[in-house]
Formats: sequence, structure tokens, C-alpha cells
Amino acid sequence: MAIESSVGATLAWPRRHVGKLLLLLCTVLWLLWFAPQSPVSKALLQWSPALAAGFGQNILISLVAIGLGSFLGLLVGALALSPLGLMRLPARIWVQVFRNAPWLVLIYFTTYVFPFEIHVGSTYVPFPDWVKVTIGLALPASANVAEIFRGAIASIPSTQWEAARSLAFTRGQIFRSIILPQCFKRMLPPWMNLYAVITMGTALASLVGVHDVIDTAQIASNTVNLTGFTVVIYLSLLVLFFAYCYPISRLTQCLERRYAFY
Amino acid sequence: MSHWLELFVHWTAGVGLNYGFVLDAYQRGSLEQGALTTLLLCLFTIVGSLLAGVGLAAMLTSGKPWLAKPARVFIEVTRNTPTLVQLYCAFLVLNMLLTQAVGAANPLTPFAWVVIVISLHKGAFHAEALRAGIEAVPSVTMEAASSLAFSSRQLLWNVQLPLALRFALPSLINNLIDLVKMTAVASAIAVGDITYAAIMIWTQSDNVLELMILILSFFGLLSFIVNCVGRYLEARLRMPGYGH
Repeated sequence: MAIESSVGATLAWPRRHVGKLLLLLCTVLWLLWFAPQSPVSKALLQWSPALAAGFGQNILISLVAIGLGSFLGLLVGALALSPLGLMRLPARIWVQVFRNAPWLVLIYFTTYVFPFEIHVGSTYVPFPDWVKVTIGLALPASANVAEIFRGAIASIPSTQWEAARSLAFTRGQIFRSIILPQCFKRMLPPWMNLYAVITMGTALASLVGVHDVIDTAQIASNTVNLTGFTVVIYLSLLVLFFAYCYPISRLTQCLERRYAFY
Repeated sequence: MSHWLELFVHWTAGVGLNYGFVLDAYQRGSLEQGALTTLLLCLFTIVGSLLAGVGLAAMLTSGKPWLAKPARVFIEVTRNTPTLVQLYCAFLVLNMLLTQAVGAANPLTPFAWVVIVISLHKGAFHAEALRAGIEAVPSVTMEAASSLAFSSRQLLWNVQLPLALRFALPSLINNLIDLVKMTAVASAIAVGDITYAAIMIWTQSDNVLELMILILSFFGLLSFIVNCVGRYLEARLRMPGYGH
């Protein structure tokens, strides 16, 4: 029975994806036969290392921003859960301010308000633009992580708290060994979603002069100055971001479906 | 009016912020113009994105693969690529091709491109919310309506959408607040919105911090207004048993 169904699945697979397979075949044939002669694809080939380096810069910014944002966000989220109202207030203000500000404005903010070099001892340490953009993205990320954290804790049924307290656990013990292990599972899908959004947010870095993939594409399109090349390079930007973010979003959906009943 | 402004400048100078530019008629004028442009941009894109969202949601739930597949592809591409790249693809690529095709008679201004791109971008998010709402309409209701000889268009417009709107309202309002913040991207292609006006001012006189506080409070006010309207609509449209 099992063998039959698996055979059926392998037979059904190419029939279900016939449109996609045809499209892929056409693209490959086009690339093999027509592309090598045209000046557009030559220029694209010549510029692709620069594009890859630019996209690497984007990914670096996104990774550092989500790391910094998660660290800050967990701190702020922990503050927001404090039983003392005086400690909850700054966390609430932080979350409200940074969730409601446009990202672009925050990036301009960190770029222009921070100094371009820092005086440490007797030397000047340069403060590069991409670090400022990273901080600009980490601020809204931290506010969102704090909300995700707070939401995950709040989503644990209160009966678990009561049951744990009746077993004479202390508040710290309940957090560490009962609540937090369940929270990680619930936080993972929205956190990954946030990471995809931040990766898309790194596109804004080009507006404040960071040499990222969009900046590279603009330079390339101005240098080569061919209509076809301009079309292709901006489309390839779309494809690059889509190829990076779409798998993350699919994985997020899978995880959400798997954890839906816990 | 100017008396109050002078008082405000004097008071903020005491805190160490230099708001002298609001007394300058030219700079204040360009800021006011920018604020107006942002407001117009928000109004047009809110209407446009809702229309695009309803259209895409109708395509998604039509049950016809040749309508639902393209809508699904469009939504996935829109959700997984940055708005700025989409804006560049539209303004630098499509606009260039259009200008080459029709010459100087190109009717689309940068403002129109921003409205189109952000409307379609947020429309994709609205469509997802509305689709969930449409699918949450009980099948019994649908069967009852179709037994009363509603055509499929009437079914969508008179039965599914009104109920779907109630289910989807919280996430629609969330999307609209996001949309208001997203209009700041317009400054990237030199549409004179409030962000662009502020950049123009701070490149001339070094007062970034003051302008930032101004812009942030302006956007805060706009999102607050959208939030209040959303709360009001939620309370107004509430039907026991549907939505929250």
C-alpha cells in the first residue's frame, strides 16, 4: 500500500508542476543559446561579482541587526514582564516608539545623529555607515522581538503557572524550566518572519550611502547605460531578494503549521 | 499663530533644541507642503490598496486556477521583495520604458508611481487578510445565500465581503498603519513628502535631531489617527458572532 502511494506521488509530481518545469526549461535553453552573444548578458556577467559582494553586505547588516535586535528585545521584553510598574513603563515606551516610527526615518536618524568617528583614548575610531544602519534596523527589531517575547509568554495558559506554583516552584524556576522552553517554539516562526522583513529593510541602506546591492545596481546601470541592462539588473535585484526571503517565509509557514496545536 | 511659534522656539531653545527654522517662512512653507503631500499620499494609497486588496482577494477565492494562480504568484513576489526595489523597478525601469515609448507625454509623475507601487504592495497584504476572512465565512451562510439565487458576484459583494471585512479589520488596520509609515520611502525618488522636505532643510542648516523629532511625532500622529479610526470602525461594524 505504502509503495503504491509513493509511486503515485512520483508520477503525479511532474504533472503537477508542468508549467514551472516548462518555464525552467525555456530559461535554461535561452541562457544556453541566446545569452552568450548579447552585450546585456556579458555586462551582467561582468557585474555579478560586484552584485554578490553588495548582497553580502546586505546579509551582513541583516544578521548583525537581528542579533543585536534579539538581544536588546529580550532585555526589553523581560523588563515588560516585570511585576514592578516602574520598570514596565520604560519598556512600554521603547516598544511604542520604535514600533510606530518609519524604518527609513530611524535609519536617517542613526546615520545623521551619531558621529562619524568616535574618540577612544587618544585615537579616533571610524564609525562606518553600515554599522549605523545596522543600529537603525536593530532598534525597531528589538521592539518587535520584545512584543514577540511578551506575546509568547502571555500565550502560555495561566493554568500552567498555577500548577507549577502549587508544586512549590519559585517564580524564577517556573520561568526557566516550564515557561521559557515552550516559548522558544512559539517565538521561532514570528522571529523568522521578522528576520525576513529586516532583510528586506536593508534595501533602505542604499539611501544613506552604504555600498549595498542596490547602490551597486544603480552604479552598474549608470555605467553600462543600456536599456536592456537596466531592466535586467533591477529585475535581478528582485530575484535576489526573492530567492533569499521566499525560502525563509515557506519554512516559517511550515513551522507555524507544525507547532499550531501545541 | 506666529506668537505661539515664537513661544515654542523660545521654550525649545531652553531645552537645547534649535527650532529657529519654523520662523523662516520659506522653510516652514516647504515643511507644510511636505506634510500635505504625505497626507495626500496616505489617502490615495489607503484607497488604492484597499481596492487592490479586494480585487486580489476576489481572484484568490474565485476557485478558478487561471485567476487564483497569477494572484498567488503576485502576492508571494510582492511580500518577499523590498518595497524600495519594487519602487525602483517601477520608477526606473517601467517609467523609463514608458518614456521611451511615448516620449514627453508620459502621464505618470513620481507621485503617481509611489501611489501605484505602495497600493499594490499593501494590497497584497490586505488580500491575504481578506482571503482568511472570506474563508472564515461559514459554508452554511453561503449555501443559504446561493439557494436565494445570488449570483457569484452578488455572493462575494453582499455576503462574503461584509463578513470578511469584520474578520479582517484588525489586520487591515495593522497593514494601514504600516502603509502610513511606508510612505516615507517616497523620498527615495524625490517626491516632496515630509521626509524629503526635512532632508532638504537639514542639508542646509545642521538641525537633524530637531527635524527627526518633528517627523517622528508627525508619523506618530498619523498612525494614531488611523488607529482611532480603526477602533471606531471595529466598534461600529461589530456584529455579535462575527469578528472580534
